[in-house]
Amino acid sequence: MSLFQLLSVSASGLAAQRARAEVIVENLANAETTRTPEGGPYRRRDVVFEPQPQGSPFSAVFQTELEAGSMGVAVAGVVEDAREPELRYQPGHPHADANGYVAYPRISPAEEMVDLMGAARGYQANVAAMTAAKDMLSKSIELLK
Amino acid sequence: MLSPLSHDLGRYMDLLAERQRLVASNLANIDTPGYRTKDIDFQFEFLSLAPGGAPHVIEPADLVVKNDGNNVSLDREARLLAENALRFNVASQLVRAEIRKVRMAIEEGRSA
Amino acid sequence: MTRFDPIQPIRPPEPPAALRPAAPAAEGFSSALSSAIHSVDGQQKSAEAEIRRFLNGEGVDLHQVALAQQQAQLSFELFLQMRNKMVQAYQEIMRMQI
Repeated sequence: MSLFQLLSVSASGLAAQRARAEVIVENLANAETTRTPEGGPYRRRDVVFEPQPQGSPFSAVFQTELEAGSMGVAVAGVVEDAREPELRYQPGHPHADANGYVAYPRISPAEEMVDLMGAARGYQANVAAMTAAKDMLSKSIELLK
Repeated sequence: MLSPLSHDLGRYMDLLAERQRLVASNLANIDTPGYRTKDIDFQFEFLSLAPGGAPHVIEPADLVVKNDGNNVSLDREARLLAENALRFNVASQLVRAEIRKVRMAIEEGRSA
Repeated sequence: MTRFDPIQPIRPPEPPAALRPAAPAAEGFSSALSSAIHSVDGQQKSAEAEIRRFLNGEGVDLHQVALAQQQAQLSFELFLQMRNKMVQAYQEIMRMQI
């Protein structure tokens, strides 16, 4: 059962890192968005991870102390950056305020790229774990041959 | 039917699967704030000869804690992932060899 | 009058050496079999010891484990074939019409 649980743990990791990557990509795409439907510039968003005990389809039947240590991950929420937007002096801009300043999102593409690389690395690590589990499961099946 | 060695090999594989599950948990939570790496004391659990017993989950002490309280090391987990899978592979091959030996003895006896 | 010796009973001829009961050969048979058994058993035990050292984490290299196991496997297979041949040979001899 451990190996099947492992699959669901890794799957949760994949989902979480992918959600993180999606948010980062949105940030990058909206790095220069000065007006959103809610008014005001786009605000940088970030995911919050939290550990999540994993059940599996079998766990209801086989629940034992063994499964206590197994911890997947879940996206607890998406938070907006609370910092003030960046103001740039652009008097001709349609979204300029009375003083000629335009509010831009506080997003550094370099930072976002590094974060994205982190998400990719995390994703890859979970893929490796899943592959190892599948390999071990198939070795177990071979014992039947 | 199978030797005591085969039962030990089975126990070995059980513990490896347990350990691998914890490695996967650590990797899933590599970016989770506050998460601490989980593991089992493999040698201790294997030598304590308790088939079917649940191993104790421990937290390794000598890991670097990042700013967000997370102490998962990708290098450590990747190494354990590979090592556990390899050991599991070896153990399963040895069990297969045991099975093959017994089967051979049965079949050769018939054809002699 | 010539004296005749009494008729002596005919002494049976010495059986040729080849037909003498093969006591030394029988010894060779069973001792070959038992030494083969001991050899196989020894190999199995040393392979098992090697595997146990691996399981206990005593720094055994995988290739040592693999070689010990393969050696034990091969000697076991060889032993099985030897035993089969010996049994065949025995059965052939038993079938022989004397």
